[in-house]
Amino acid sequence: MNPEPFLQLDRVIHEKGRLAIMSMLAAAPELSFTELRDALTMTDGNLTTHIRALQQEGYVSVAKSFQNRRPLTTCSLTPAGRKAFAEYINLLEQIIRQTKGK
Amino acid sequence: MDTNWAAEHLQTIRTLMERSAVYRRALAPIMLFAGFVGALAAAAGILFHLESSIAFGYLWLDTALFSFFGALLIARRQAIKDKEPFWSPPARRVVQAMLPSWLAGLVGTSVFRVVALNDPRLSWWLLPVWMVLYGLALYGAGFFMPRGIRLLGWLFFLSGLAILVVLAIKNISDSIPPLIYAHYLMGIFFGGGHLAYGAYLYITEKGKNAA
Repeated sequence: MNPEPFLQLDRVIHEKGRLAIMSMLAAAPELSFTELRDALTMTDGNLTTHIRALQQEGYVSVAKSFQNRRPLTTCSLTPAGRKAFAEYINLLEQIIRQTKGK
Repeated sequence: MDTNWAAEHLQTIRTLMERSAVYRRALAPIMLFAGFVGALAAAAGILFHLESSIAFGYLWLDTALFSFFGALLIARRQAIKDKEPFWSPPARRVVQAMLPSWLAGLVGTSVFRVVALNDPRLSWWLLPVWMVLYGLALYGAGFFMPRGIRLLGWLFFLSGLAILVVLAIKNISDSIPPLIYAHYLMGIFFGGGHLAYGAYLYITEKGKNAA
């Protein structure tokens, strides 16, 4: 089996928690911090750490605003994040095709 | 190298994407719309004394179709607003999950209306059948949607079965009530049920966002 696609997988996205965040954000224009936290059953600290890692990589942008006088944090994928996510999916599909072709 | 993980990863990604897709965000207005239309149809049925089999069947079949196309329009408007594709793979999965029950309801109702043409009391049986089928449709779609939708599916399913049992008992003693009361029950479940769930979604989503 050719290990090339596996070696090309983006390590930042490949981590379970970050992959879940990227998947949720890929299907929505933006999601609030609490929506992500509740949907993925993560702690505030855990989610903050993962989002920060994705932000540093330029995959996720975070916007802070107010709604009904309460702070609202929303996250969305950047164009670079969408591209990296699409490439990640392509590589996964390649790996699956290789397995089936064996 | 074990590559099952790749397929599992893709499945997880698909599930998570479905949970945050467009129809999920359009769910509260869709439920409120369906509830409003259901309550309005029940009120019309009661006020205009629509007690014949034909009137009962037409009223609720048209109401179901109107609610269905209204829901599609609301979801499409939300998709345009969010600049997202409407007919996406997640949306297709939800429709596929609901389609068998919807189709069974549509064909079953058409056949039943021919059979029950001369006896309005027979149309009573449509009510629990619709509720059970609709409950199954919601339950099927619930695998790609928030957990609450499956609970609503259970509510329709179990209530439909309970009404079926009560009707069977009433049928034995030949005391099935006039068809007008079926409009009340339709209003309670298809009107009130949707309105309550829509209001719940609206309030909880608002609360979730503001944090």
